[in-house]
Amino acid sequence: MTAYNRRTLIVGVAVVLIIGGVVSYVASSAPDGLKKFQEDQGAAMPAYPTVAAPPIAFQEYNFNGLGEGFWANAVAGVVGSLIVLAILLLVGYALRRRSPASPVGDDRAATRP
Amino acid sequence: MHIASGFLSPPVWGTMAAVSGAALAGSLVVARRHLDERRVPLMGVMGAFIFAAQMVNFPILLVPGTSGHLGGGFLLAILLGAPLSMVAMTSVLVVQALVFQDGGIEALGANIFVMGVVPCLLGAAVRGLWLRPRPGRLADILTFACGALGLVVSATGVILMLWLSGALPSTVSLAKAVLVMDSVHLLIGMVEGVVTVLVVRFVLATRREAILGTVEPLGAGEVAA
Repeated sequence: MTAYNRRTLIVGVAVVLIIGGVVSYVASSAPDGLKKFQEDQGAAMPAYPTVAAPPIAFQEYNFNGLGEGFWANAVAGVVGSLIVLAILLLVGYALRRRSPASPVGDDRAATRP
Repeated sequence: MHIASGFLSPPVWGTMAAVSGAALAGSLVVARRHLDERRVPLMGVMGAFIFAAQMVNFPILLVPGTSGHLGGGFLLAILLGAPLSMVAMTSVLVVQALVFQDGGIEALGANIFVMGVVPCLLGAAVRGLWLRPRPGRLADILTFACGALGLVVSATGVILMLWLSGALPSTVSLAKAVLVMDSVHLLIGMVEGVVTVLVVRFVLATRREAILGTVEPLGAGEVAA
């Protein structure tokens, strides 16, 4: 990996972890615009079949077993951000353009500087 | 504005899933042809940044008891272009739905449409302004305006989907529902607009090469840059 890309990752991840792991703890707990609208207007949920994700490890944005304090939120923010990062790096490196002139299979050498 | 599970009728969420699925497929095809390696880490950290930023609900001072949070697709599209921003927003929304119960799973296509497709297209529309050598006040103003507009468009879309699904309470008319949702999201959108301008200016100052990448078909302005 080039120094440019490494630096993007290091600085980027540091900023993300501070926002997701720390700053998000002081976020407003009021309902967002849509939820507030539905609550205010007394919107009843229609009887459509639902597919709900089971709260295996996280309840909303809190890590199960740590209650609802700072650390439950921090684990959720850090883990969620890193999952998104991992998915995008995997997809991105799978999709990236390889130089047509270089031999197939030599990924590192084939990429642009 | 994540639509929760159970509010959308199968025809509505099915249609939205098809539309968003097609948009994602098209994005992957274009990205595969044009993705410059320097943009991959930027896409990764910016996607993660949007996930983290969406956790930071801010109170809307003019509407007590209501909060808003960044959408982010608009910002991503300015930095990465439409195809990569669609890939990143889809990843964020999928993780939110599957791991954090934020947004219904069957509503995923609808949520990708309002927080991905719509803002990503708007962001791609103003991206060209930022690829010029010295983006000026015009870029700031148009970006702010389109960021705010994007949330209003998306909020209207959410109300229309709920209406088509018979999920609006009978006590409220469609017009009133649109008015209430749009006015709240105009305020949230103004925050989105300001944050977008600030973050774009910061990333442009520090990671210009990754933003420019190489010429891609959906960003005509890049040729001039």
